[in-house]
Amino acid sequence: MTELLTVRDLRVDFDTPSGPVRVIDGLDLTVAPGERVALVGESGSGKSVTAQAILGLLPTARVTGSVRLDGQELVGASRRILRQVRGNRIGLVFQDPLSSLNPVMTIGRQVMEPLLIRGVRRAEARRRAIDLLARLGVRDAARRFDDYPHQFSGGMRQRVVIAIAVIAEPDLLIADEPTTALDVRIQAQVLSLLDEIAAERRMAVLLITHDLGIVAGFAQRVVVMYAGREVEQGPVDEIFGRARHPYTRGLLAAVPRIDERHQGRLPTIGGQVPTPAQRPDGCAFHPRCSSTVDACRSEVPLLLPRAAAHRVACHVATRHAEQVTEV
Amino acid sequence: MAAPPVPPVPLVSRRRRLRVGDWLERAAVVVAALVILVAVVGPFVAPHDPYRVALDQSLQPPSAEHWFGTDADGRDVFSRVLAGARVTLLATFVVIAVATVIGVVLGTAAALGGRIVDEILMRICDIGLSFPAMILALGLAAAMGPSLESAVIALALTWWPGYARLVRTLVRETLHAEYVDAARSIGMSRWRLITRHVLPNSLDTLYVQITLDVAAVILVISGLSFVGVGAQPPSAEWGALVAAGRNNVVNGWWVVALPGAAIALTAIAFNLVGDRLRVRNDPTLGNGGKA
Amino acid sequence: MLRFIVRRLGLMALVLFGLAAIVFLMAQVVPGDPARTAAGRNATAEQVAQARERLGLDEPLLVQFGRHLSRLAHGDLGTSLFTSRPITADLADVLPASVELVLAAMLVNLLVAVPLGVISAARRGRAADLAARLIVMFGAAVPVFWLGLMLQYLLAAQWQVFPLTGRLSFGVSVPERTGMVTVDALLAGDLGAFSDALAHLVLPAVTLAAPFVAVVARTLRSTMISALDRDFVTLARAKGASEWRVVIRHGLRNALVPSSTIIGMQLGWMLSSTVLVESIFGRPGIGAYAVNAVLQNDLFAVVAVVLVIGVAFVIANFLVDLVHLWLDPQLRRAGV
Repeated sequence: MTELLTVRDLRVDFDTPSGPVRVIDGLDLTVAPGERVALVGESGSGKSVTAQAILGLLPTARVTGSVRLDGQELVGASRRILRQVRGNRIGLVFQDPLSSLNPVMTIGRQVMEPLLIRGVRRAEARRRAIDLLARLGVRDAARRFDDYPHQFSGGMRQRVVIAIAVIAEPDLLIADEPTTALDVRIQAQVLSLLDEIAAERRMAVLLITHDLGIVAGFAQRVVVMYAGREVEQGPVDEIFGRARHPYTRGLLAAVPRIDERHQGRLPTIGGQVPTPAQRPDGCAFHPRCSSTVDACRSEVPLLLPRAAAHRVACHVATRHAEQVTEV
Repeated sequence: MAAPPVPPVPLVSRRRRLRVGDWLERAAVVVAALVILVAVVGPFVAPHDPYRVALDQSLQPPSAEHWFGTDADGRDVFSRVLAGARVTLLATFVVIAVATVIGVVLGTAAALGGRIVDEILMRICDIGLSFPAMILALGLAAAMGPSLESAVIALALTWWPGYARLVRTLVRETLHAEYVDAARSIGMSRWRLITRHVLPNSLDTLYVQITLDVAAVILVISGLSFVGVGAQPPSAEWGALVAAGRNNVVNGWWVVALPGAAIALTAIAFNLVGDRLRVRNDPTLGNGGKA
Repeated sequence: MLRFIVRRLGLMALVLFGLAAIVFLMAQVVPGDPARTAAGRNATAEQVAQARERLGLDEPLLVQFGRHLSRLAHGDLGTSLFTSRPITADLADVLPASVELVLAAMLVNLLVAVPLGVISAARRGRAADLAARLIVMFGAAVPVFWLGLMLQYLLAAQWQVFPLTGRLSFGVSVPERTGMVTVDALLAGDLGAFSDALAHLVLPAVTLAAPFVAVVARTLRSTMISALDRDFVTLARAKGASEWRVVIRHGLRNALVPSSTIIGMQLGWMLSSTVLVESIFGRPGIGAYAVNAVLQNDLFAVVAVVLVIGVAFVIANFLVDLVHLWLDPQLRRAGV
């Protein structure tokens, strides 16, 4: 299968007064045309930095490795090439729809902007923008076109942000926590809207989220990140059915399920993600892990294949598997 | 940023930070200290008598004998600038001191005196802050009769509302701090509470504002003298020095240029020191690259 | 929005009242006896008493204050001791020159400060930023009157790039309509006179603008920096917008909302700074009039200038609020 997006060994370092800090440490990721991939992890695990690094939106960071879109290298690419890719081939949706919209520009101008930048005539851009807003469920789109962001509700604003991301019909949509800032009731609506619009336009989607709960019905493949590293990846059924990494299992256990009745509170993983500057040696997860071996404290586990397309970076999971094969 | 994507460590551009700023700030501290020193010892180290007229020495260009040249009356400009440092700085100091005292008293009164007192004082501040200090001071000084004293009094009377408002805010903030509650709970008297706890904790911010105001006051004071409502001839006040030379600029640029440069240099130095203090006082500005 | 405007108008009235009171008090602290001044140098005690009665100076202060207010409301600012004309008429003659100068200085201010602030913010921490900040540092600290004299000495006296003083060269004249010679020259279609008037305007306008450039550039820089750090700016880049478009359409447009307040208030401040600039360049404006009044001990004229500049200041601030309302859609629609 030819991949649409190929990320190889992506590393992102930020300079701080106390020296460089590696925020992303060797990420591998692929997205095929039309595929839905979920990038999952708690906040602070480096998901959002990944999204911005792909688009070259981190001017102050040092980004190394390779990000290819249809074979076109984006790391270190010229500003001109990046501008052709941004908006046009890759659309981006941020978490907070309020801060994502320019408060002093009308909704309409902001939605039309990706088209106007590419020389589409204003009347044409306006028509397409109104059509798209209407398609995305903005009622009275034509009348509300010249309203300002503060006149829209949170859910409506996020529809506008999605419209901005998809209006130039990109091949890939990167949605960074698209529903997190929204009302629970609206979350499902916005997610299914994303699902529909992506299907209609045969867009690939990289869904970045901390919430495994929204992944199941949406994505085909899941990549789990922890403290700037990839810890597990595989098809959605594999991850939900046979997760190997203790972190993934912890995340899964924290997802409320309709088919199980929980007694009391949902289990959570104790502690929190270390900051990149204080990432522990060895497996970054070991201080929070319930089943550690000596190697966890000293060696970074490699991402090793478990089953078809299912890979895990965990000493315990790997050793366990080896013992099983030896017997 | 969406989510907290970036580590909670303050980020700095990967390009090396320009160090020129730090260097400038250090130089500014030295210059400001030097200006204050000159204000204290200036008249004693002046090579010539700053007030002695020598008409045969009129408008001599800068030389080894007269570093800054001589003015139309043959007086040594360098000596006059040295002597003028005391006049200008003392006037500035008095303006700020008086304005600060009025501001602290009225600001504290507004913060503690109940709604009506607060409302009246703050509306007066609004009125005061609604006008350029320069023009009000000009009118007041003209009314009192042009002299440096008039200018100083007039400026002090127009400068305090800024301090009053600042002190009011600071006192209100401090009053809500926990340690003040603690002090109150052990039965400390109101007066003691204010003088021992509330005011001292408000002063840091006030100092920063005062330092930043030094340059502004110097500029206005010298401006008033230049216009003729401040220091009168033969005073060596810096603005008066510039005014005295203005009719002879073409024959003696140094009489105007060098005293004016002294004003500018002093203002720059105090501004930079004030900025430095502000950054120190407010850690959140540390890496913002502001100021 | 209406409530906002009403509140502003209320504050404006209060401030104007305060100004009238201050001006009244100023006239009270005059050393010497205004009745004696009015009656003339050689007046008898009887004549002085008559003058006192005629001027209402024997009445209680509050009554005098009331009369003072009513005179002000009728535009009566008293008579100048120096020109012996109504001060209102004097000021009507001199104001256009000052308005012209202030508008020109504001133009210079914006043309210099906005690019400076934008470049400084967009290239934060780099050489261009440092250069811009050095300019700002000097602008904030240079005494205007000194800058004016220096520019005049170098550019007019030494190198003769610009004329020394005045508003028009000798022998050039334009029919007076607005009193602003540049505008009058344009209205008369006299391009030669226009460029002559413009040349006379450059140095005073640059001088007057200098300290304001520093303030605007600095404010714009910090508001731009915080605007450029916001999500919608990243998102604008993600749309494929050029850096220029990002900085101007998204960054500057947002930074202008807070900066507009300061820029507008500067109109009033500039008018007060004409006191320092106009007499240097021999421009017969309100600032030069004030300086002259001070030198002639013409206190009523000084007080009138304070009052007029104060009123201009208040009106400028009110206009600023309206512009602010127009620039900030959130404010515009809120609380209508």
